[in-house]
Amino acid sequence: MKRLLSITLLLFFWADGLEAQKQPDQCFTCHEALGDKPSTLYVRDVHRAKGISCAGCHGGDPLAEDMDEGMSPQKGFIGVPKGDAISAACEKCHSSTTEMNRFHSSLPVNQGEMLAGSVHGRLAVSGQERMLQCTTCHDAHGVVSVKNRTSPVHPANIVRACGRCHSSASYMRQYNPALPIDQVEKYRTSVHGMLNARGDVKVAECASCHGGHDVRPASDVRSKVYPVNLPAMCGQCHSDAEYMKTYKIPTDQLEKYSRSVHGMALLQKHDLNAPACNDCHGNHGAIPPGVESISKVCGTCHALSSDLFSASPHKKAFDQRKLPECETCHGHHEIDAATEQLLGIAEGSVCSRCHSPTEYPKGFFVAQTMRALVDSLEYAERVAARLVNEAEQKGMEISEAKFKLRDARQARFESRTIVHAFDEAKFREVVERGLSVAGVVSTQAQEAVDEYYFRRWGLGVSTLIISILALSLYLTIKRIEKRQAGLKSNRTAGTL
Amino acid sequence: MNLWRSAFAWLDERLLLKDVVEFMGKKYVPVHRHSVWYYFGGVSLFLFIIQVVTGILLLLYYKGTEDLAFESIQFIMAKVEFGWLIRSIHSWAANLFILAIMIHMFSVFFERAYRKPRELTWVSGMLMFFLALGFGFSGYLLPWNELAFFATKVGTDIVSAVPIIGKPIMIFLRGGEDVTGATLSRFFGFHVAVFPGLFTLLLGIHLLLVQRQGMSEPFGLKKNRGETLKTMPFFPNFLLRDLLLWLLVLNLLAILAVFFPWELGQKADPFAPAPEGIKPEWYFMFMFQLLKYLPAQVVFMDGQVFGILLFSIGGVLWLLVPFWDRKSSRGEENRVMTYIGIVVVMFIVVFTILGWLS
Repeated sequence: MKRLLSITLLLFFWADGLEAQKQPDQCFTCHEALGDKPSTLYVRDVHRAKGISCAGCHGGDPLAEDMDEGMSPQKGFIGVPKGDAISAACEKCHSSTTEMNRFHSSLPVNQGEMLAGSVHGRLAVSGQERMLQCTTCHDAHGVVSVKNRTSPVHPANIVRACGRCHSSASYMRQYNPALPIDQVEKYRTSVHGMLNARGDVKVAECASCHGGHDVRPASDVRSKVYPVNLPAMCGQCHSDAEYMKTYKIPTDQLEKYSRSVHGMALLQKHDLNAPACNDCHGNHGAIPPGVESISKVCGTCHALSSDLFSASPHKKAFDQRKLPECETCHGHHEIDAATEQLLGIAEGSVCSRCHSPTEYPKGFFVAQTMRALVDSLEYAERVAARLVNEAEQKGMEISEAKFKLRDARQARFESRTIVHAFDEAKFREVVERGLSVAGVVSTQAQEAVDEYYFRRWGLGVSTLIISILALSLYLTIKRIEKRQAGLKSNRTAGTL
Repeated sequence: MNLWRSAFAWLDERLLLKDVVEFMGKKYVPVHRHSVWYYFGGVSLFLFIIQVVTGILLLLYYKGTEDLAFESIQFIMAKVEFGWLIRSIHSWAANLFILAIMIHMFSVFFERAYRKPRELTWVSGMLMFFLALGFGFSGYLLPWNELAFFATKVGTDIVSAVPIIGKPIMIFLRGGEDVTGATLSRFFGFHVAVFPGLFTLLLGIHLLLVQRQGMSEPFGLKKNRGETLKTMPFFPNFLLRDLLLWLLVLNLLAILAVFFPWELGQKADPFAPAPEGIKPEWYFMFMFQLLKYLPAQVVFMDGQVFGILLFSIGGVLWLLVPFWDRKSSRGEENRVMTYIGIVVVMFIVVFTILGWLS
């Protein structure tokens, strides 16, 4: 009986709903007759297709034939929403799973929440509303799916939508005067921008990197473009072989970068000074650096090495052979830590790739000498460090020598920079400075170790002297007490 | 030998030394199964002399300012000839000094040597014990290293918990709201001027009283039962035995200083977070540990205040023990005092061990 009643009620409400849908939307009927812009745009609106009337956002009674009655506050009419009321009207459905299910939509329901937490969710200069409402990007009437080419947030159009504010100096000055306003301009010069302009919607646009509703400043650790998160973000596309198939470029850059000295510093040590993808390729104007500009790009951080190289004999030789300057020896995405192993003529060194005893022999022998010099510095530093460690282990105060040891290490690091001058005399000067410091440290540490043994011997001798003194004192006490006992027994015998 | 005799005769002619020797020769020290405890007074005196001598030597190079204190100790340890030895002996002797005083104090307590007529000897000794703790607390900060800095911070913070007078005392000790260079300056002043002056005065009184009253004899000796007491002359027998023990302590100090040189650690950084496991010196550990165990609220007062009150009352009662232990003063054996002493020793030992293990 209960089941029969339930089915009857369900059929009743369903039939009632159908009846309501069939009812004409009086708001739209009148406004269409007036030919105003909102109703004209609303014809193609995705919401109208779902059966949502004007009253869905504006309130009122869409069934009332009388205009005053339909647009009366008693019927819930709110007019044109202003400020945050705009987003609130959208969120009424878009933040409700029930409502979205009612309209058979699979759109996520956290967009409103994400927008509120994003940089665009902050208060506007008016202080009355947040900076950006849903309609700022999606428009109010004539909203279509993001997949629709006419949508302002479709990948082909979104750059223009973002640029409406971000390319306006007067607008951006109100919120972030330091933020450049040439992103769109730069984007158009990038590979991404050029392909996008040609209608390729697979390439990265603003939302691909910055997110749609959850845009955060690049300095925010939660941002997709925060330096530590950036390589993975670029890798979403560039490491996907299937996705990148049409572009015919390698997809192992992220893998190689992660293994590189830069990748390990940024991704494992979270050293924000290490470069991410955008530091070499640019961000909005992303493009692979050309052969000529590689050294300039690397030189933005490695300025001294870059200058030394530019003044070295290698500069001309590399230019003549059209060899990329830094990349030829160090590689690009998979850059290993620059150790002494790269220098010299042994296996694994980069000098011997071009220099041999027969071909360019001068460089071959200079490389051999430089390697011998730096090896001797490394050995001297190791010996000094071992001695300092030994002295420390023995509990000796060696902090001064330990501090000085840094200078030897510093000289070795300096040699890694000065090597880019490819000048044996300059290189020798730096290495010999390090050798001199390492020598002083070794001497001081050895003295401390010797002092340690001297103390042990000194303790042995002083313990012996004190023990002899104690023993003679003990014997003296015994002798005195024996004499006293003798005197006492004599006195006792005398008395008797 | 003739040289010694000539020197003695020369001095005797001027200072009448024979009278002193004769006086000392007439002094006798009781000999019984607890006689060994008599020597800890002498050991404490010897360690105090070492502290004074090594302290003066350290003063030649130490600089008591925030910027230079740590570096000057570093200099003493690395550059000054035998500076490492002097500093290490000073640090080790400080700890052995407090240990020797504690043993001396408890031996006097258990032997009831504080009883009439030696009440003032006990009080002067107790005041010296408190000063020795003051020496330890003030000296600990002087190297201006990380551990000392934070231990002083914690120590002076505890004082501030006392209502009304706590905060002013803390500000007086620190020379301001925080532990800074001002704290170091005044701790240095206390350590090398105020405390040594007071200590020397009390030591003079203490030794004078010991000389005037002689060594106390425990209950139950033959003399108390009307029999002849076995004794030994103070000079030369007891004094030479004292010297023998001093030599052994000196040897121990040298071994400790060479094999376990006192570490300097890292320079104090007031802006750095406190390192883990900050602990006071071992002789404050039992108090620190009890304060840690006390709940936030005890009966009607703050747990920390309750702890401080407990130690203050305990300290005062301990100081005044000759005046309230009437039974011992009457010459009667008071077993309750033995039990109290055992409980106090057990408490100190157990809580010190717990402190080290935690």
